[in-house]
Formats: sequence, structure tokens, C-alpha cells
Amino acid sequence: MVLPDASGDVLSEMDVDAFRRLFPLRFFETHLVKSTRPDGRSLAEARETSSALGAVASADGSALVKIGSTRMLAAIKMEVMTPSKESPDEGCIAIDFHMPPICSPTVRPGRPAEAAPVVSKQLSDTISSCGMINLKELSLISRKAAWMAYLDIYCLDADGALFDAALLSAVAAFSHLQIPVVSMNDDGKVVVLSGDHGGKEPVNKGKRKLTLSSIPFSLTCLLHKNYILADPTAEEESVMETLVTVVLDSSGQLVSLYKPGGPVLAYTSAIQDCVALTRQRARELQTILDEVTSSMEVD
Amino acid sequence: MAGKGGAAPSTYSPSPTTQKTKSRIFGNDDVDWVRSDGREFHQCRPAFFKTGAVNAAAGSAYAEFGNTKVIVSVFGPRESKKAMMYSDIGRLNCNVSYTTFATPVRGQGSDHKEFSSMLHKALEGAIILETFPKTTVDVFALVLESGGSDLPVVISCASLALADAGIMMYDLVTSVSVSGLGKNLVIDPILEEESYQDGSLMLTCMPSRYEVTQLTITGEWSTPKINEGMQICLDACSKLAAVMRACLKGPDSTLEE
Repeated sequence: MVLPDASGDVLSEMDVDAFRRLFPLRFFETHLVKSTRPDGRSLAEARETSSALGAVASADGSALVKIGSTRMLAAIKMEVMTPSKESPDEGCIAIDFHMPPICSPTVRPGRPAEAAPVVSKQLSDTISSCGMINLKELSLISRKAAWMAYLDIYCLDADGALFDAALLSAVAAFSHLQIPVVSMNDDGKVVVLSGDHGGKEPVNKGKRKLTLSSIPFSLTCLLHKNYILADPTAEEESVMETLVTVVLDSSGQLVSLYKPGGPVLAYTSAIQDCVALTRQRARELQTILDEVTSSMEVD
Repeated sequence: MAGKGGAAPSTYSPSPTTQKTKSRIFGNDDVDWVRSDGREFHQCRPAFFKTGAVNAAAGSAYAEFGNTKVIVSVFGPRESKKAMMYSDIGRLNCNVSYTTFATPVRGQGSDHKEFSSMLHKALEGAIILETFPKTTVDVFALVLESGGSDLPVVISCASLALADAGIMMYDLVTSVSVSGLGKNLVIDPILEEESYQDGSLMLTCMPSRYEVTQLTITGEWSTPKINEGMQICLDACSKLAAVMRACLKGPDSTLEE
């Protein structure tokens, strides 16, 4: 590691780790001028991403997603509700994003992380607006019973790009979801049918999977001066603060664009670059998702 | 949230909450019943441990006993809360919480105050608090999936996470519980067995020193049964310690010895 010439005698004798902690911005900038990042990635490169389905046996659908060190566990539990009068043929989805104290040194018990409700809202908005799930498919008996899908996403390890990992885990959990076979009992309650069916007729025969149309994929980019860094780590996010999150659906249409302020005011060209990077990333994520879902069908 | 606005409608789980037939078998002493996972009465579930599960933490461990899955992260030693009094020795702060999907019926995912306090008491005696004066070590546990014997798994996993973080301890802490079902004692009970138990005994110890840090007994026990239960737990604890030691020495561990 070569230090900048202007840094003087003190800095030239300084250990790399100490330099990184004391002058984080300069540390990153020395990398950026060489179009590289401390973890060896190029600026536009996302971290290694992997996914596994069915990690939680007590849930109806679940997925574990890893983007670099960031790790998300998403699980869906199906419960029954009476649909509202306005939409008697529709079910409901409730999405919650949690950051338990295990995921980051900045989260303490009893004091929820600031980022959690923000990501929670973003996820709800994205999933409801992109039209991935037809809420009519969650209906059981018109006006009487419908599914309420509780999707809870837990961040197990927070290392940046939390929204991207959370969205991917949500999508993967929905693709893994197996809706239980149920019937109406004599009290008018919906109950799970056991193996022998007990002479009851299931009310949702052949509707155990949701059709996922137009899946949303996202990429968070970090803007610093003229640089665009894709898929930032927690350290990068803390040093350079301007984030842009782009969500595209599987047909390449823009679902949402989120730039929550920050010191860098982005030109249209920078935003276009972010969208282009997201388009490329969406293809990668689609491949990863196809791989895990197809390996599940083999089982 | 994602649906129509307004107050969330009340929901219920369609899965049956009680299984009536099983309880009779457990209680009946004449019937030779087998455990639903095919184990013998004094056989633990296969234990899996992995250190370094969370990169953001100073030390961490993941433990899986059948369907019981927990992650423990250790942070610190770091600055104690401002309101804390000056202390010559270090402080230990423990927290145990559940995910909303950990239990068969969806829960609230809130902190488990009782387990937090039990975890603190189980570990306190094993940690050399003098090695980090004025500071706090935080031990946070998250139960990803509850499959029975949750607290013993959390305690064992926490001691492994502490070792991974390089916190000085007198010994690893291992914990095992037994359930009394009729005249039988079953070790490492699953959720179903715990719900029908007549009594439970949980023992936490430092196996190399043969010292007990915590012993809790609930329900109906006779003195010879307590002795038998403790002996079973102590044996299981030392076997568990061997598995945990192997995990610390393993090739994928980041611990430098």
C-alpha cells in the first residue's frame, strides 16, 4: 500500500490499518483513483451472492440470502383472516424487516435500529407496487376467508446494501412458499388438513403455489464525487453517504428509485449509470434465483 | 401493510395447536413408547456448531440441535453505558430474543426477559470479568427456530461465541436439560416432549473443572430421580464440550490458539 505523497512523515510511517481508521475517506480515495476498492472489487462489481431455500422448517416458505457478509433470513407464515368489505376476494401481505442486536455493533436491545422501519416501508411499497403477487390468489372463500401472509425478514449480519439483500430474500421466500392445504370445519374455521383428509374437501386444491409475475430486483449504488460504487459495504456506506437504490422488474421496467438526500447531488447521467448497473445486476440475480428454485423442484 | 390500508385484521393460524393422542402415551408407564424422532431416552440430538457466523461481531457462533437453531453474537469489550457506575471488573450484558417465525404459531418476536437473565447467570461464573475492567461484553442471542431445549442450546452456543471473541473464561460452559415423562427421563427434549413433561431439570456446567454454574429443577422430582437426572446431564455436558472444542480447533475457525 503506497500512501499519497503529500501525507508527510507521520503518515508514511503509519500502519495501513491505523490509516484506514483515522483517515477513512482518504483511504478509500486512494483506492478509487486506481478504480479499485479495498476488498479487491472493481467499482461496478457487486459482491458474491448466494441463496438457499427452506432454511426455516416451522415456516411455510423461507430463504437465506447472502450478499458478501450481509445475510438475511426471510420466512413466511400463512394465517387466515376475514377479508375486508372493500376487497372480499383478496388476501393480504404483511412485511416486517427486523434488525436484531446480533446483526451489528450499532444495534442495542430495546433500542431498535433507525434503518429497520425505513427498509420495512421500502420493501412493502416495492412488493405491493411491482405487481409481483396477485392478492386474489390469496383468497380462500369469497367474503369469508383469505390468507394473510406474514413475511418477516431478519438481518443476521449487516454489512451494507441491506435493502437489496432483504428484497432478494423476500422474493426467494415467496418462490419457496408452499400454501398449506386447508378445509373449512364445522365451526366455520379454516384448518389444515392432515394426511388422510378426514373426509373433508380441501378448499384450495391445486392452489399451493403463488404465480410470481414481474419479479423486482434492486441494486444500491454509492455516489462519491464522480465515482459510482455498486453494492457498498457497511464501511463504505458510513464513509461516503450518498446512496441511490434502483429497483427494476424482470422486464426491465423501473419500479422505484430512491435517493434519500446525501451530500452528493447527482446529475441525470449518474442516475442513468445507476439504472444501467441495476439492469446488469438484475440479470445476475435472476440467474441466481432460477438456479435455487430449479434445484428445489428437483428435490 | 402491502394490502389495503387501515387497521390490521385479526388473523389465526390454521394449524392445530393441540395433539391429544400423544400425551396419553407419554404418561403411560406400561407402554414402551419411542420418541418421535427415533432417539433413545438418553440420546441427545446431533449437535452442530459453527463459529464466526456473524462478521460484524467480535465473536459469534451458530448452533443447531435438530430443529433448534440459534445464533449468538458477542460484542466488546466496549464502553459501558454512560449511566453505569465505575466498576473494577467487567460487566456482562445478555439478551435473548426470538424471531416471529421461531415458534409453530407466529409470535411477537420480542425479547425473552427470563432467558436473558438465566443466560447471564449461567455465564457470569465462567467469565474472568477482571480481564476487562470498566467495560462491558454484550452477549446477544437470537433463536431462529425453536425446537425444544432452547435455553441450554443458547447457553452452550453463547460460551462458544465468547471463546470465538477471545474473552477469557475458566472453561467452556455447556448446558443440557432432561424432561421427566412418567417414570422415564428423556434428555435434550424436543418441543412436543417439553409440552407434556411432568418436570424438567436443566444443568449448566464447566465440564473440565466439573463445576456446576446453574441448576434449575421444576415440577415433580424425587431425590433419586434428581441424582439420576444430574448424572445424565453431566455426562452429556462433557460429551458436548468435546464437540464444541473440536469446533474451535476446526479448520474453518478463525480463532488463533
